[in-house]
Parts: sequence; structure tokens; C-alpha cells
Amino acid sequence: MSASTHSPVLKHHFEDLGQQHACERLGIWMFLATEVLFFGGLFGAYTVYRLWYPEEFILASSHLNRTIATVNTVFLITSSLTMTLAIRSAKLGDRSALIRNLLITAALGTAFMVMKGFEYKIDFQERYVPGRIFQEEHDAAFRAVFPTSGPALTREQAEQYFKEHPEAHQRWAWELVLHNYGKDPNDPDYRDPGKMQLFLLFYYIMTGIHGLHIIIGIGCILWLVWEARRGMIPPENYSTVEVVSLYWHLVDAIWLFLMPLLYLAGAGMHHH
Amino acid sequence: MGEEPTTTPTPTQTPTPAPAASDDPYGIRKDLDDPITLVVVWIAVLGLALLTVGLSSWIGPTRYTLPLQLAIACTQAGLVAYHFMHLKQGDKVVILTALSSIFWMGILIVLFLADYKTRHMIIGG
Repeated sequence: MSASTHSPVLKHHFEDLGQQHACERLGIWMFLATEVLFFGGLFGAYTVYRLWYPEEFILASSHLNRTIATVNTVFLITSSLTMTLAIRSAKLGDRSALIRNLLITAALGTAFMVMKGFEYKIDFQERYVPGRIFQEEHDAAFRAVFPTSGPALTREQAEQYFKEHPEAHQRWAWELVLHNYGKDPNDPDYRDPGKMQLFLLFYYIMTGIHGLHIIIGIGCILWLVWEARRGMIPPENYSTVEVVSLYWHLVDAIWLFLMPLLYLAGAGMHHH
Repeated sequence: MGEEPTTTPTPTQTPTPAPAASDDPYGIRKDLDDPITLVVVWIAVLGLALLTVGLSSWIGPTRYTLPLQLAIACTQAGLVAYHFMHLKQGDKVVILTALSSIFWMGILIVLFLADYKTRHMIIGG
């Protein structure tokens, strides 16, 4: 339009920068609404199964790694702070602070994923993976107590056996076998291994999809760093940083719900 | 019309005098975040995260645990949305979009439950 409001950042189909920034914000928020619905489907499915099988979900959750999850929560919340500070730096035209804040955010996101990798590794080492792995591990502990040939161990003998062979079976497996000892599957206190695996499916799918979002977010942040270094993010273009930041905060906010639903459902259960 | 000769040197050159007076012609620094506020929000969200971990471990899985955890998570998400995601800047269309996402998700979950929580009533007779 008129020369006084024209900036090299202004795209030709917008009246002015204010309108352009508003449109960019609205655009990413529309996308975030679809993201909320995307995760909403998973949260809805989780809600149904949690209401159906509350005891198995709580028991299965109790064996997840809460220490790593808590550290990761701290990483993500802190990364949201540095991401918001990056917008401020961009608006002030402080390029080195912008790049610094973006790099800290990317580093915290990367630390989150590295911890997540360790966590998955521990889960696989503990054979806490739904499907054949879970079934084999559970059956091995079950057959140690109830051999196909020969007499079954008494409950006391079974406890003694697991205590004396800590390497032979995973803790979640022998605790489950001991819990279900002598219980009929119709007993309300019986814990169904299949329903526990359903929880684990939610755990891997929800944290996996969330982790994918983190990786995409890190990619976008590193792209911003690249652009900032090239001098492509002057104050008039701060909204590019804000668009990525809105996505990043949403991924953070989703984690704030995954944390209680997946990791804290079984917190405070006493393992004996 | 009669005064035209006096204003001819600058015809329609400056329709708005504001840019000359301001060093922020595009209003970019109008909604600049206060870093102290951001740090306070960060501490609050972090504190709530540690609170929910501590409380959950302390009281264990009771009937009150999940509602408590969800209340804390909603408070955290609210703080993030309001301060970090700048809903406080009051862009009405953005607020409407944000609220609509919650609204649609509410419909999604309510209709899920309307099916799954009432199925047995029909099948079981």
C-alpha cells in the first residue's frame, strides 16, 4: 500500500504487517485446533478404556519410569519459557539473544528425546512391551509357579523362588503372577494381563506420537536459528518465531496431560 | 480550494503522521512480554508439575487422585495458553479458535462416552 507502511517482510496480499501477523497467528491456531482433536481422539479412547479397566490401567502405570518422566516435564516446561523469551528477543531485534534462546529450547527438546530414548530402552530391557514380548515374559513367570508337569508351588514357595532368582524374571511379571495367585479370572481382584497390555499400547502410541511432535518442533526451531543467522528474522518478522512457539507450547501442554494419565495413574502404589 | 497554493509542496504525502513520531511503526513492541512475569509463570507451572507428582505419590490411586491430577493439569495448560501462547493479548478470533478446539474435543469425548457408557444398558436389557 502506501510507502510509509511497507516493509520488505510484508507479503503483497496483506494490507499491512499488523494484518499479516494476525493472519499468521490465526493460521497456526487453526492448525492447533486440529492437533487438539487429533490428540483428543487418543485421549477419548484412553478415557473409555480407563473407565472400563481402571485397576489394570493403574497397575500397568505403576511400573513406568516416573523419574525420567518428571525430569522430562522439567525440560519441556523450561523450554516453553525460553521459547517465549525468543519471541521477545525477536521483537527487540536482539539477534544473538534470539539465537541463544532458540538453541536452548532446541537443546531442552533434544534432552527430552534422549531421556525418552533411555526410557524406551529400559522398558524394552524390562520386556514391558505389549504383544508377544509381554506374553512370553508373563508366561515364563507363570510357568515357574505353575509348571506344565509337576506340582504347582505354594504362594509362599513362589514368593521365595522369585526372591531367590531376581534375574530370572521381570518384577512386573512376577508381581502380577503373585497378585493373581489362586484367583479366578472372574474375581474382581484379578488383574488381566491383556488389559494391562492395552494400557501399554496407549503408553507407546501416545508418547510416540508426542515424541514425533517434539522432533518436528526441534526441526522447526533449528530452521528458525538458520533463518535468524541469515538475518531473515528482523523485528517485523517476529511472528515466524511466534508461529513455531505456539506449536511448541501446545506440544508442551499435551505432555502436561500425558504425565498424569500415563505416568501418575499408578503413582504411590506400594511394591512389595 | 482557495488555500491550495499554500499546501502544494507536499500533496497527499503523509496520510498518517504516526510513523514519524513512533519508532515502532508496526506496533511490534506493543505486546512485549515482561520477562519477570514469564519467569513467575514458569515457576508456577513447574511447581504445579512437582505438586502433582508429589501428591499422586503421596495419596496413591484413590477416587480423588484423577480429578485432582486433571485439575492441576488444566491449571497448568491454562497458564501456558494465557501467558506463553499469548491469549492474554486478547485477539478475539484467536481466543475463539482456542476455545472452539476445547469445545469440539468436549463433543468428541461426550459422544464417545454416550456410546460406551450406555451400551450395556441396551445389550444387557
